[in-house]
Formats: sequence, structure tokens, C-alpha cells
Amino acid sequence: MTTSTGRRRGSLLLWHLTALVLLALVSYPVIWTVGSSFKPSDRIVGALDLLPTSPTLANYRRAFEGAAGVSLLRFSLNSVLVAVLSVIGTVGSSSLAAYAFARLRFRGRNLLFTMMISTLLLPFHVMIIPQYIVFNQLGWVDSYLPLLVGKFLATDAFFVFLIVQFMRGLPPELDEAAEIDGCGHWRIYANIVLPLSRPALITASIFSFIWTWNDFLGPLIYLNTPEKYTLPLALRMFIDQTSVSDYGAMVAMSMLALLPVILFFLAFQRYLVSGVATSGLKG
Amino acid sequence: MLDQTVTSGAAAPEPETGTGSRGPRARGAGPSRRGRQVRRREGLAGGLFLGPWLLGLLLLTLGPMLASLYLSFTDYNLFTAPEWVGLDNYRRMFDDERYLTSVRVTMGFVVLATPLKLALALGVAMLLARPRRTQGFYRSAFYAPSLIGASVSIAITWRALFSDDALLDRALQWLGLPAGGWVGDPSRALIVLVLLSVWQFGAPMVIFMAGLQQVPQELYEAAEVDGAGWWRKFAHITLPMLSPVIFFNLLLETIHAFQVFTSAFVVSSPNPGSPADATLVYTLYLYLRGFADFRMGYASAMAWTLLVAIALVTLLLFRTSRFWVHYADGGDR
Amino acid sequence: MFMLRRVTRRGVAAAAVVAMTATLVAACGDDSGSGSDGKITLRYSWWGPAERAEIMNKAIARFEQQNPNIKITPNFSDYAPYWQKLATETAGGGAPDVMQMDYTYLSEYANRGVLLDLASQVDKNIQIKELLPGLQDVGVIDGKRYGITVSGNTFALIYDPAAFEKAGVTVPDAWTWKEYQDAAAKVGKAVKDDKMWGATDYTQITGILETWLRQQNKELISADGKLVVSKEDLKAFWEHGQRMRDLGAIVPQSKVAQVAPKSAPGADLVASAVGIDTYLTRYAGETKRTFAIAPMPSDDPNNLGLIFRPGMLLCASSKTKNPDAAAKLINFMINDAEVGKMFGGNRGLPASTIQREAALPVLSPQDQAVLEYENGISDQLKPAPLPPAGVGPVDAAFLRIGEELNYGKTTIDKAVDQFFTEAEQALSAS
Repeated sequence: MTTSTGRRRGSLLLWHLTALVLLALVSYPVIWTVGSSFKPSDRIVGALDLLPTSPTLANYRRAFEGAAGVSLLRFSLNSVLVAVLSVIGTVGSSSLAAYAFARLRFRGRNLLFTMMISTLLLPFHVMIIPQYIVFNQLGWVDSYLPLLVGKFLATDAFFVFLIVQFMRGLPPELDEAAEIDGCGHWRIYANIVLPLSRPALITASIFSFIWTWNDFLGPLIYLNTPEKYTLPLALRMFIDQTSVSDYGAMVAMSMLALLPVILFFLAFQRYLVSGVATSGLKG
Repeated sequence: MLDQTVTSGAAAPEPETGTGSRGPRARGAGPSRRGRQVRRREGLAGGLFLGPWLLGLLLLTLGPMLASLYLSFTDYNLFTAPEWVGLDNYRRMFDDERYLTSVRVTMGFVVLATPLKLALALGVAMLLARPRRTQGFYRSAFYAPSLIGASVSIAITWRALFSDDALLDRALQWLGLPAGGWVGDPSRALIVLVLLSVWQFGAPMVIFMAGLQQVPQELYEAAEVDGAGWWRKFAHITLPMLSPVIFFNLLLETIHAFQVFTSAFVVSSPNPGSPADATLVYTLYLYLRGFADFRMGYASAMAWTLLVAIALVTLLLFRTSRFWVHYADGGDR
Repeated sequence: MFMLRRVTRRGVAAAAVVAMTATLVAACGDDSGSGSDGKITLRYSWWGPAERAEIMNKAIARFEQQNPNIKITPNFSDYAPYWQKLATETAGGGAPDVMQMDYTYLSEYANRGVLLDLASQVDKNIQIKELLPGLQDVGVIDGKRYGITVSGNTFALIYDPAAFEKAGVTVPDAWTWKEYQDAAAKVGKAVKDDKMWGATDYTQITGILETWLRQQNKELISADGKLVVSKEDLKAFWEHGQRMRDLGAIVPQSKVAQVAPKSAPGADLVASAVGIDTYLTRYAGETKRTFAIAPMPSDDPNNLGLIFRPGMLLCASSKTKNPDAAAKLINFMINDAEVGKMFGGNRGLPASTIQREAALPVLSPQDQAVLEYENGISDQLKPAPLPPAGVGPVDAAFLRIGEELNYGKTTIDKAVDQFFTEAEQALSAS
């Protein structure tokens, strides 16, 4: 009895030690970047100290003022709008497609699945101009539509594939039993498979939010009016290789831009605790 | 509603045929009336569930993909109509020294970054698998690099970390190892890029975490009763149960590594690929050819060559997956 | 058992549908061109940081006030993304009506029919008489006027007087390349403890190679877009770099790479740099050290090989529906005195004498130093030859190969061959 608790305590100590050492390694650049945001603007690039010697809030003051006559709040709201709609669109449309690929058998499924995977393989740069032509023809340039429509149509195969892999991990007896009980596919999808795929859906939500939040190229190409700009465009406004750059304000704004993402992650990662094991089979 | 009536119709004859066959799929039962009905019904449902995705594929993805395939056989300068040149672009790649450089750099990146990143992601995910009060904190802290990683600020930090006289360099000096900054050193700059990518292991980590949550705890409990140790539990429960997710991460991280762009672009800006093309990864060169040199035909040919290369690797991975990936649905793919 | 969950799932699905329709509807009223109230809308794109955008907003407000029937949609980003966006838009049929242009890329766009010929607008909506004589015909290709220059600059030697003083080096009124190299070596030794070097590696910049060639009445690329430099000359130029490396005068490339995106002078790595004169302002913004302008080295004191380079140009899209309004905007941005005063030296020193005069009282000390320098050598400034299409990749190749030389990864002979292969290919393809 005593040796067992002793061993347990020892392994707990080892666990914390390992976790902390790893954490220190991984966090060093994070702390550095946060520290940078408190350094004077001309002491950021090339400076070799982890923390500022004479910390200043000036960078944050300039970042809070916004840029080019548009307020920080405006940029943030734009980013929130695009990111939230992207999450809804991505998770909704991708889980539908994933259900079909993972749980239904129909002719052409393998062919379509292969096509879906193949859309992951082409570097996106060669798609930029053809896609721009499509959206320009539709008259959607300078609106959020080009950034969102694809999300509602599950064009990012990453998410479909991700959810497929999780849905295939669910025991088939579940929906077979449900079918006997007289459930149609919509109800199996909505009432059984979706709740059981919660870890996958949460994961997809987190990624979808963060990737949209950080997306630079899409907003760059499709948004023209500065009032519609999102945060990644806004923080690039402080730098320009042809003139004097304000690295301080740029780093400070990118730190501010991180806050919502961190909150989003903190809020959603809690739901990663319980999947099939607890809520599904037992509940 | 429609589904329900059909289902009840299909479920009705169950007692007649049913001796012990559970479930309407009745594997190996032959093309019975019920089987055909189920198949047709699933085809219809498949169409409905795939609807949005199919629409997106046809409207937004397939067109641009085919357009770039066509452009790869042309001389296209972005502003005037493309001119058909047949296989010229493909042929020219093999005489292009910078192209071959970019292939070498990318191979190095894929081979180094993918296994390191996956191992770290799986390790940390398992470390954090057990619910503890500090779990949320640890998860967020380990995910933080992936949040910062996409921002321009990281370029400044990363350069500083690997400069001369920075902490790392001083540690190397102290250990008597070859010192000097890594960022500006053509023979070591790729390592800097690999480390930036590995450092952002948050995405595969979260996916592993989600996968670990789906492993039924009962299995571990049962194994513990049998006296299984840590390694046996890992090898006989965790790995097989996690294999669909491991497969997903392996596949996606490999694809992403082949297509790595942003970290290379950010770390080497304002001279993409610097120092001395040491970080000139494939898509970076592709981007330069397309948008800086106005050679979109050539860039498209590069893109399709890469597609074929990744497709071969993907195919290989799918082939091997039959031997080590275990699906709950029996793996009928 | 799943009742509660079903409700939330349905809620999410419903929210998705509502959100989707809302965005779709919102977009429908969003059509550009000329609005229903007879107002003309022009999109105006430029590169530059927020500071420029803030001034630009004021200038645009003034323009809209003077032209109540024209509305401007401003659009900007920093330099590298600007070009990706402009290329995409132009290729996809959505180019901005008025755009900022770099001289390097003018041919690339103009030769392919995407820029408007502004010749018919001259004396109607655009006045070019007020432009400095050397800059008046910049942007004219085969009799067609594709761009009007906003500002002008030239090359110069920028140095840190304090560092030079420390080394006991006095800057003469004129010096040869060799004299400059020796001075840089001497300064480099004096500032070694400050982890500084004497000079940047100017043998990576095509503009400096061209200047050096012009000092001998030679050129790098001919007017019809052929590579005309001899291999011997290129070799001789790159030997400058070798000599300076041997003397320890040049900063190692590895140090420069570490401080990017800052410039080497701005990061206190070097005591002097040959480059564009208006970079004096950029360096001053990056470091607390002060810089001054020294004479451009030349082996022929009567020929500095300098040209009056257009800093940036304004062009209109050939697809614009409102060429007159576009021309008016260009003219306003280039000639309006009040606009000149707003910008000061932000876009470089103004090309138009109206704006130059108006900007004079608000110029920073650095800009004033540049102005003084340019005025002092104005009789030496030749009109800038038009860079042919394909020059962008040539510049990039020269920079990269120059870096490889600096790293010692290649030899001068190999570098010359490699540059010739890449440059000839880039020029022939365009």
C-alpha cells in the first residue's frame, strides 16, 4: 500500500517535471515575443534579451489607436464575424460530407473520396487567380463572401477527412441499432453520430476559428475597403519594406489579436475531455 | 420523414429472415431485396449529405484545379492570353538548377520536420491525456506556439533566437560546439525552419488529444486487471485504437510539409529563400515563379508535378494503412 | 437520451442558414462602378505603411471635396503583398482604377496592355509641365504615356560621420571606388569593437552595377532588353566585393540576414552603404545614429553615372470606366500643392515643382539633406532608362548570386556564368 502510493507520488513528480521542462522549452519563444511587445519599437529587431530592460506600453497605445483611421475594435469585429461564420460553415458542411463518407455506402463513394483527398494535394498558389476570376464574375469581391462561401461548402478537405477518421472510429452497431429502431439517416447523423463525434467537431471548430483568424492571403486578395479589413491585414499596416516600419505597434497588435484566439481555445478545449468513453456509451 | 417510412419498411421483414443477423447491412447475405433497398436509400442519402461538398467541389475547387492543369501546358504571363507550349514547362524544370535546389530543400524539410513534429505532438498529447486540474493550462500553453506561429511577429523572434550571441548560441559556445548564428548560415538555416515548424505542433497534438478521448477507458481498466504495464497498454491499446488518427496526422502533416510555405516565406523575408536559397522550399519557388517572375504556366507545371509526387506518397501511405490502421467499422475501404 | 443535444444541433444548423442568407443578401447591394446617384467610384491602390495611408486619407478627402461627383475607395498594403494582390486582380479582370507602380515593373504591366495610355489626358486633366525636367518623360513607352512619376531619387553613398571620424577618415569632395573601399576598411577596423563593419556589400545591387558601368559609358541591359554587359566587366565589378572582403571592409551576409527586416545601417551593422539616397530617412527611423550623404565614388570624377530615378509612379488601368476621373486623381496626387505639403517626404521628394516647393517647409532634416545632395549634382543626373520587362527577376538573381559570393559558396567565374544564364532567360521570356 505505502510503496504503491510512493510510486504514484514519484510518477506524478516525474510527470510534472517532464511537462514543465517541455513547457519551458516550448514557451521560451512565446515569452520572447510577448516581451518584445513591451520593448521600445527600435529595440525589437535584433535585440537579444528575453525580457525588456525598460518596459514600455507605448506599443500598445499605438496599436489601440488602430491604423489608417480605422479603429482596432472595427478590425476585431470584422475578424470575429468572419471567424465565427467560418466555424459554423466549416463544421456544419464538413460533418455532413464526413457522415456520408464514413457511414453510408453508395456507388462512387471511393471515387469521390479520392477526389476529395486530391484537392488537398495541389499548392494553393496556382488556384488563386482562377478562384479570383470566379468570385470577380459573381461580383463578390470586396465582400466577405469569397472568404465564407467555400467554408459553407466544405471546400477544405482537411476538415472533412478529419471528421471522417473520427466517425469511422465509432462502432457501427450504434447506427445499425438505431436503424432498427426506425431512425432515418438525418436522425442518426444528428442524434447519434454528431454527439459522439464531439471531440472531432471541437477540434475542427478550434482549427477553423484559428486558421480563419490568422488568414492573411484571403482577406488581402478579396477585401478592398480598409473598413472591412481583418486583423492580420491591420497589423501588417505597421510595416513596409520601402519605408520606416513600426515593429513595436505590429508586435503589440499581434499580441492583442491573440487574446480572442486564446480565449476561444481555452473555452473549447474543455470539451475535449469527454468523447465516446463517458458521454456516449455510458450516457 | 421519408427515411423513416423506408426504414420501417426495411425493418418489417426482419423477424422473417432474422435468426441471428443483427443490423440491416447483413454482410454476406447476398443481394436480398432488403439489401438493394438499403443500398438505394443510402445512395440517395449519400447524395443529400454530400450536397454542399459536391457543390463546393464543382463550383470552387474543380474548375480552378482544371484551369491550373491547362495553364501548366501553356506560357502564361498573367496578363495576356496563355499560349499552348505542350510539355515545355515540364521539360524545363529538370534543367532549372533552382528548381532542383527547391526539391532538395523540400525533401530535407519533409524528412526532418514530419517525424519530429508528430512524435512531439503524440508525446505531449499522451502526457496531457489524463484529466488533471492543470490540464487546461498545459494544453493552452502547448498550443500557444501554433497561435503565434502564423503572425509576422514570429519572424522577428525566430531570427533573434538563432542569432549569434543569443541563448542557444551561447549554450553551444559553452559546450564547445560549433557556434555562430543559424539564421544567416546557409548550411543551418533549414534547421531553423524545421524547428519553427516542429515548434508549432499544436494542431496534430489537439487531434491526438481528441483521438485519445475516444479510446474507451474500460479497455485500459481491463488491461490493468490483467497486469499489463505501461508499454503493453501503449502498444496494444493506445496505438491500435489511435491508428486512424495517427494515420490522419501522418498523412496530413506529410502533405503540409511538402507544401510548406508560410513559415519559409516569413522567416526568409524580405528575400524569399535566403540565405543563398537554403530555405527555398518548393512552394516558395513556385510562388516566386508565378507572382514575381510572371511565369504562371511554369508555376502551374510545378504545382502539378508536386501534386503527382504527393499523390504517390499518399497512395503509398494508404496502401500501408491496411496493415496498421484499425477502423471500428472493419476498414472496408 | 440525446434529446437535449438534438435541440442544440438544430439551433446551430438554423443559425448557419440564417447567417449564410444574411451575408448573401448583404452582398447583393454591393456593386461597384458608378452608383445610382450618378457618383463615380474609383479604386485607388498603393503600397505603404499606415502612416502613408493616414496622409492619403486626408488627401483623398480633399480630392472628394473638390470633385463631389467622384468617390475614392482607398486600398493599400505593404510592398510584397501589394504586388501579389495587384497581379491577381489584373489577371482576374479586377484591377484598381488608379494604382501606384514601381519603375521596375512598369514594362511588365504596360507591355501587356493592362495600363491606360494617358497621352490624351496630358494638358487636359494632367499637367506635366510642372514636373522636374528629368522626370517629365518617365513612363513614356513608344510614344504612349503609361505612368506619371510622383517623386524622384538617385543613388548616393550614405555614411555615419561619427564612425568615419573615429577612424580618422575625412570624406573628400570626390573619390574613386578604390579610395572608398580603403576608407571603408579603415573605418571597419576602427568600429570593430562596436560589432560594426565599414560597408554593406553593394555588389549585390544591379542599380550600383549599372551606375558603375555608366561611369564608363557602358550599360547592363540595352533599351531593347538585351543583356549587353561583358563578362569581363561583371567579373571586375564582383572583384570589388572580393577586395573588400579581403580587406575586412564588408559586413558578412550572415549578419545582415539576422537583422532583417531591418536594414544593415539601421541595425548598426555598418558605417556606410551605397544605395538609394532617400533611404537616409529609413535609416534614421531605425537607429539613433545619424547619417549623412557622401559623394558617389567614381573612377571618372566628371561622370558619376547617376540617373534621376522615379521613386514611384501612378498609373491607370486600361479597363477603367472613368479615364477622365482617374486622370484627375493622378494629377491631383502629383500636382496639388496642399497634397505636397501633407506628404512632405513620405512618398520621396516630389517630382512636381509645385509640390516640391510646398513640401519644403515640412521636410525632415534627412529629406533636406537628400534635396541638397540632389540639387548639388543635378547637372550630372541623366534621365532614367526604362527597365524592360523581366528586369525584376534579373535584380533578384543578381542579389541572390551576390549573396552566394559573399558567403563564399561560389566563385566569381561560376557566378558570372550563372548570372548570364538566369538573366538571359528572364529577359528573353518577357
